[in-house]
Amino acid sequence: MKHWAIILAVLLAGCDSRPEVVFADAAIILPDDPAELPPGPGLQAVVENCTACHSPSTMLQQPQVPRAKWESIVGKMIETYKAPVDEKAIPDIVDYFVAVQAAQVANPGGSAARQ
Amino acid sequence: MADGNDATGTARSRLTRRALLAGAGGGVLAAPVLAQRLIGDGMINLGLPGGPSERPLTPRFPGKGEMVVHRVRPPVLETPMAVFDQGTITPNDRFFVRWNWDMPTQINAAAHRVAVGGAVRQPVSLTLDDIANAGDHVDVVAINQCAGNGRGFSQPRVTGGQWGNGAMGCARWTGVRLKDVLAKAGVADGAARVRFAGLDVPMVDGAPQFIKSIPIDIAMRDDVLVAWGMNGEPLPLLHGYPLRIVVPGWFSTYWVKMLSTIEVLTGDDDSYYVAKTYRVPVAPVTPQDKGFETVPITAMPPRSFITSHADGAVIALGQPLELRGIAMGGDAALAKVDLVGAGLELPCELGPDEGTYGFRRWSLRIPEVTGDLAQIGARATNANGITQPAEQAWNPSGYARNVIERISLRAQ
Repeated sequence: MKHWAIILAVLLAGCDSRPEVVFADAAIILPDDPAELPPGPGLQAVVENCTACHSPSTMLQQPQVPRAKWESIVGKMIETYKAPVDEKAIPDIVDYFVAVQAAQVANPGGSAARQ
Repeated sequence: MADGNDATGTARSRLTRRALLAGAGGGVLAAPVLAQRLIGDGMINLGLPGGPSERPLTPRFPGKGEMVVHRVRPPVLETPMAVFDQGTITPNDRFFVRWNWDMPTQINAAAHRVAVGGAVRQPVSLTLDDIANAGDHVDVVAINQCAGNGRGFSQPRVTGGQWGNGAMGCARWTGVRLKDVLAKAGVADGAARVRFAGLDVPMVDGAPQFIKSIPIDIAMRDDVLVAWGMNGEPLPLLHGYPLRIVVPGWFSTYWVKMLSTIEVLTGDDDSYYVAKTYRVPVAPVTPQDKGFETVPITAMPPRSFITSHADGAVIALGQPLELRGIAMGGDAALAKVDLVGAGLELPCELGPDEGTYGFRRWSLRIPEVTGDLAQIGARATNANGITQPAEQAWNPSGYARNVIERISLRAQ
């Protein structure tokens, strides 16, 4: 009798509040990031210092902000996120985004500097 | 940063490798052209004021249908608004995706552990089966919404992820109560907060890890989960397989994915993503203000959307009009939805209630269209009496947008 009771209890537990959960191994393959940065002054500095962490798309999708904001963004990347940015490259990086955004203003509906 | 230590050197070599790869593509092409050809099967215009507003639309992420691409790695994908007209539960393959740092692209289930430590009686390292056996299995229907949802509509615009309004979704989450998992270690006296970490980690040593904490009273709620199920399926890897935290009514920044560590804190959390970011001003500020007091962004306010018609759609003059959409109460149940416009305030009918924290349908029948409907919007009010505002104070990170979303319809 005792054994029957145990089996019944197990069955009840099994079909009531704790159904079995199976955790399988999982893997995915992410697509490559194909977007390229449009030409502009300082492009090389951006490629060398920014693209390790940032998709070109993210950088190109930002709203137009003043030069000082780009300087503070690059500063935050260095100070907070410990980005290994060459300090000599900072003016070039900022120049690039200011120039690319100026090109975007001529084409506000588009994404980035459509040539 | 020119000190050339090991950590910097490692990051630098990654960076250089990536730069070489980027350069190997050959030539410098305008971004939209390449994006369209290689990842975007189309482009979508999110209508962000001042632009840039176009984004690739692609079904090429694993397990995903057509999604708006904000970032490829780590993925940031937005749900096209048309999906929200199809139902109150967002299908897994259309649910928005947002990672702060790179995450693993494979999970070995048998090897995965969740460490429970900090202010506990006995630190433990739990297998996935341990978690699944920690307590009763609970289902909760809840909206997961990015704190920055709608940031791209901020005016003045702010930097950051330039979301439209599709960084939200509603799913049925299945898991065990967080408090049952905490009980495996035993919460010690003096517990103030519970902090979570996942397997997504920064590329550069010294950069802040994406860890988040919630107050202990929230952690002990009956509906706060360690979840493995999303709409009846295992959590997709892009949504945090094998486990993620679910905090119904709170923004998704706390719903840590690929959960690997639970830490009980006895004091404030001074970690970066709690103490420095994901914060909102306590009082309205202007873009010129500095040094104002802020608090962490936590509970969600009510929101609603018209999903049956896009802005600028044409409606039939002299005919009846059926409007419909979705609404949410935020951290309280939805109480009502009204359609508002100039001189207009019409109560809407609410669809089935699938839970306090889920989306709910609303609909409204206008017997006869007598002219254009300019700047109409749905306005949700929750059970706490909080109503969506007609104007919302600007904040520097574009968080918690919940202003009434308006469209105009042309009658002809």
